[in-house]
Amino acid sequence: MTAVKPFSLAKSRRTIQWMVVIGTLVIGLRHIMPGEASRGGSFDSFCAFGGIETILPFLFTGHTLKSTNLLNFSVQLGTLGVSLVAGRAFCGWLCGLGAIQDFITQWTRKFIGEKRHIRGRQSTAIFPLRLPSILDHPLRYAKYLVLTVVLIASLFMAFPPLRDFCPVRAVFGLHMTALLWVTLAVFLAGSVLVERFWCKYLCPLGATLAIFNKLSPVRLVLDNHHCNGCGRCDIECSMGIADVPHHLDHPECVRCMECLNTCAVNGSLILIYEKEKK
Amino acid sequence: MKIHPRYYPAIIITAYVIFLLIGILLGFGPERGGAGHGRSALMQFTAALEGLT
Repeated sequence: MTAVKPFSLAKSRRTIQWMVVIGTLVIGLRHIMPGEASRGGSFDSFCAFGGIETILPFLFTGHTLKSTNLLNFSVQLGTLGVSLVAGRAFCGWLCGLGAIQDFITQWTRKFIGEKRHIRGRQSTAIFPLRLPSILDHPLRYAKYLVLTVVLIASLFMAFPPLRDFCPVRAVFGLHMTALLWVTLAVFLAGSVLVERFWCKYLCPLGATLAIFNKLSPVRLVLDNHHCNGCGRCDIECSMGIADVPHHLDHPECVRCMECLNTCAVNGSLILIYEKEKK
Repeated sequence: MKIHPRYYPAIIITAYVIFLLIGILLGFGPERGGAGHGRSALMQFTAALEGLT
């Protein structure tokens, strides 16, 4: 008789993240093939943030920005659907850039000397760093500024405002310009230095989805009788949220479920579906 | 209602696919080329209101 392997949420997430990365690379590859560029729209028309970039021009003029098309709204609707149900789970599970950043963190730790990361134990690798809160806290508001600038700029531009600096195009687009090479270098360096650098400080899509953490019915709750305050979840939190058990609906949480996965005491963190918060 | 964590990946993927399909069924589907389309949503809304009054 063969033993059934226990379910691992972390392995499921890694598998899904790899599938997203490969899928996005295939879309990027398809668009550099001769004669394929215009089929189904450009690479940008598959972008989850493209729908937000082009919504205001579409509402006011009836035209989407160049390089985007109506498919962007469907992709955006899918993203909002996940967020309505489970908060920022798109960022933690289905975003290609989030996946790449998680992989970079893992590889950086290995490369710098941590042979095997023990879950719930502070990493011995120097990088990625955790910025001191005096710097980290104000920088987290930068993404809301980026979102505001993008929304205003979209009214005056022909192409999506972020197009020339978009890290998704830099990583997956395979159609590089000088600006995209710079973006790629900044993105890679940032991700090596700070875990989930882009998500924490600059991602305008994350800024849009943050509010859904307060509204979504599928979420984690804490059972105070079980939690012993060991802090393992704080160590594993890739978004660097302090005191995770008491901030389970934090707007910065990407619902990656690493806290649940790491929790040493069964029943401390419980995944629930609840329409109205108590 | 408690949910077993094993169903979490299925929940988010299903939500994504369902809402994506709703968008495509509403007419926001892939198309050739880039920018396009006729009247803006606001113009259509105004026209609809004018039609009612």
